[in-house]
Amino acid sequence: MEWAIASAAFLASAVEFVEAFTIVLVVGITINWRSSLVGALAAAATLALIVGTLGVALVKWVPLTDLRLFVGIILILFGLKWLKKAILRYSGLKSLHDEEAIFEETMAEVRARGETIAPRIHPFGVALSYKAVLLEGLEVAFIVITFGSSIQSTAGNGIGSAAIGAAIAGILVITAGVLVKAPLTKVPENTLKFVVGVMLTSFGTFWAAEGFNYEWPLSDAFIPILAVIFLLASYLLVTFLKQQKRRQLALSKAEALEEARP
Amino acid sequence: MKTLKAIYNFIVGDMIILIGILIIAIVLGLIANIAALAPLRVAIGPILIVAALLVLSATLYREARGKR
Repeated sequence: MEWAIASAAFLASAVEFVEAFTIVLVVGITINWRSSLVGALAAAATLALIVGTLGVALVKWVPLTDLRLFVGIILILFGLKWLKKAILRYSGLKSLHDEEAIFEETMAEVRARGETIAPRIHPFGVALSYKAVLLEGLEVAFIVITFGSSIQSTAGNGIGSAAIGAAIAGILVITAGVLVKAPLTKVPENTLKFVVGVMLTSFGTFWAAEGFNYEWPLSDAFIPILAVIFLLASYLLVTFLKQQKRRQLALSKAEALEEARP
Repeated sequence: MKTLKAIYNFIVGDMIILIGILIIAIVLGLIANIAALAPLRVAIGPILIVAALLVLSATLYREARGKR
C-alpha cells in the first residue's frame, strides 16, 4: 500500500464526490430516488470499466519514463488549475464554491422543467444523475489512473492504492451525506481544493522532472519539500492579491467621493 | 471541436497555464536531449519549479487585472 498515493487520491476524490453527491441528492429529492440511484449506479459502472481498461493498458504498454513525463505534465496542468481557483477564492476575487447554491440552482432548474416526484424511473432524472456522477467520477478516475500508474513498477500496486483512497473518500462522502441529508456545505471545499492543488502540482513537478531523467536530491523525500514550496508561494500570492483588492477598493471609493463633490 | 473544447476545459481550462507549461516542457525536452545544453541538465528540477510558479502568477495576475 502506497500511503502518499492513497491519501492524495483520497483528498482529490473527496472534492469530486461532494459535487456529484449534491446533484444526486437534488434528483433524488425533486424527481425520485429510483431514477437518481439508477443514473448514479450506471455512471459508476461506466467509470469502473474506464479505470479497468485504461489503467491496465497504460501500465502494460507505455514505458515508465514516458508515462511519468506525460502524467507529470497533466498533473501540473490539473494542479495549477485547482490552485488558481482556490487562490482566487481565498483572496476574495472569486466567490467561495457554495454547494448550497448549487443545490438550490439545480432544484430550481428541475422545478422549471415541471418535474414532480414520481415513483417510476424518469429518463431526465437518470440522465441528470448519470451525467453528474460520470463527469465528476471521470476526474476521480483520471486521478486514480495517473497517480497509480506513475509508481506502478517501482513500488507495488499504485492503481490499487489510489483506488482504495478514492473508494474511502466516496464511502465517507456518501455516508456523511446520507446522515446529514443535506448538501455537504460543512465540507470546507476550498481548503480541500487548495491542498489537492498543492499536492497535484508537487507530484506533477516531481514526475515530470523524473521523466526528463532528472534525479531529485533526497529522491522521493523531496515531494514534501515541493509541497512546502508551492504552499508558501500560494500563501504569498493570496496575500498579494488581497492587498491588490484592498487597494482597488480604496481607489474606487476615493474616485466616488471625488465625483460626489460639487 | 466540441470534444476538444470539453477535454481542454476538463484538464486545464486556462490558456496561460496550458501554453506556459507546454513551452517549459519543450524547453526542458531540449535541455534533456541536446548535448550542447547538457550542463543545464542539473537545473531541470529548479527550472520546472520556477516555471510552474511563474505560470501560476501570470494567470492570477491576468485574473486580478480582469476584475478591475
